[in-house]
Amino acid sequence: MRVYVVDNGGQWTHREWRVLKYLGVDTKIVPNDSPVSELKGVDALVLSGGAPRVGIDPEKMGKNGEYIDSFDGPILGICAGHQFMATHLGGAAAPAKVPEFGKSFVQIHQPDILFQGLPDRFEVWESHNDEVTVLPKGFVALASSPNCDVQAMRHRDRPLFGLQFHPEVEHTQFGSDIFRNFLTVCEEST
Amino acid sequence: MSFDPKAFIAEQVDAIRIAAPGKAIIACSGGVDSTTAAVLASRALGERLLAVYVDTGLMRKGETDDVARTLKELRVNHRILHAADEFFAALRGVTDPEKKRTIIGNKFIELFEREAQAFDADYLVQGTIAPDWIESGGQLRDRIKTHHNVAGLPENMKLKLVEPLRDVYKDEVRAVARALDVRVAERQPFPGPGLAVRVVGDVTPEKVDLVRAASAIVEQEIETAAQEGRFPRPWQYFAVLLPVQTVGVHGDVRVYGHTVAVRAVDSVDGMSATYSKVPHEVLDRISTRITNEVHGINRVVFDVSNKPPATIEWE
Repeated sequence: MRVYVVDNGGQWTHREWRVLKYLGVDTKIVPNDSPVSELKGVDALVLSGGAPRVGIDPEKMGKNGEYIDSFDGPILGICAGHQFMATHLGGAAAPAKVPEFGKSFVQIHQPDILFQGLPDRFEVWESHNDEVTVLPKGFVALASSPNCDVQAMRHRDRPLFGLQFHPEVEHTQFGSDIFRNFLTVCEEST
Repeated sequence: MSFDPKAFIAEQVDAIRIAAPGKAIIACSGGVDSTTAAVLASRALGERLLAVYVDTGLMRKGETDDVARTLKELRVNHRILHAADEFFAALRGVTDPEKKRTIIGNKFIELFEREAQAFDADYLVQGTIAPDWIESGGQLRDRIKTHHNVAGLPENMKLKLVEPLRDVYKDEVRAVARALDVRVAERQPFPGPGLAVRVVGDVTPEKVDLVRAASAIVEQEIETAAQEGRFPRPWQYFAVLLPVQTVGVHGDVRVYGHTVAVRAVDSVDGMSATYSKVPHEVLDRISTRITNEVHGINRVVFDVSNKPPATIEWE
């Protein structure tokens, strides 16, 4: 299984690489302007978080849009990656009414393979100024936190997932289970 | 699968041999990262390696003697430089934390280049770990703080860098250190710029003495309480001298003294952290001892911030 991490400049991009490595996956961090042709043989992508404010500065998101449009395998967008996925596919992201930094809790509203085996409510680590305000067409919201309605979303048919919180961070509960569940999706789609 | 320290050691010793075909010096602070890098490099290069430790005057109590002993025990070829005056002179009047870090980084390189020339070395080995370059930023990544060993390096540096620990975090470095039998494997992290970033505001030898004495008390009390099983030893624990003076009363006399913050956090990799739930009786002992034993400090506060939103260090 080969899963690449697209680097959008996040503090925790390298943590995503580490969690995938620990799960036994062949993984690599690639710049977000890597041509799609370089992703041949890659089974899935993680779009990392980043300093870019996607609403204000979409150019900093490089070729993320091309990956979402033309990459065949599953894609997991995290934080900025998640927000970009929403805006690129016709939804919207905007400055959050209450930005979240550090500890929060998510409540799962919609059971999904991504959260299989997890409790309905658990502690997560956050670090965001913006949030998804309008879901793109074809997506369902899966989870929320007290200050953010869309903590998780997925496409109904395509294996596209977005998470506002950071499953790669040591302090997020069940983070590595979420990655493992994502890898299950990847296995099923190869 | 998880991290395999033995395989990592074999890989990196080979990689260092390839990366540094000539003589090299290693910047060694005596902490887990640089000591582990020194042992790896020493295995790869033997007599072609010289470890250089700089006493910046910004180190903790007893640190210089302790580092000298560690390097001797590990049979790493080494040299100790005493440069406190140079560091304090360079830092005089500087209050901006990023400037402090850059000045210290540049000063280190100046000394290392001097030593490298004397030793005829072309390579500089550093114990840089993942959070150092991540937080230092570059291209898309925002700079959270200048780690002196990354963003503090001058652009025209002649020495070629070799960084065997670049892709690992502290917990993984500790696993490597244990496998190499390095005594300091469990030591708490200590920033390269030393106590200069634990004195908020301008850095003077007097203020550094205050924070050094306060930090020694924090370390002793927390380590004792942890050994007695009263709470798990935090990942990192120290004192910060704040640029705030407040009123106190000592023996019926008004005093106007300094404030220190006690910081203790739990973490695995330094990239996220929660403040440690230090028992009140331990905080009480720390507070009483600092305000009684460290002349000039009359108030102690406890930092209850997580990372994010705060960082572990204050600067």
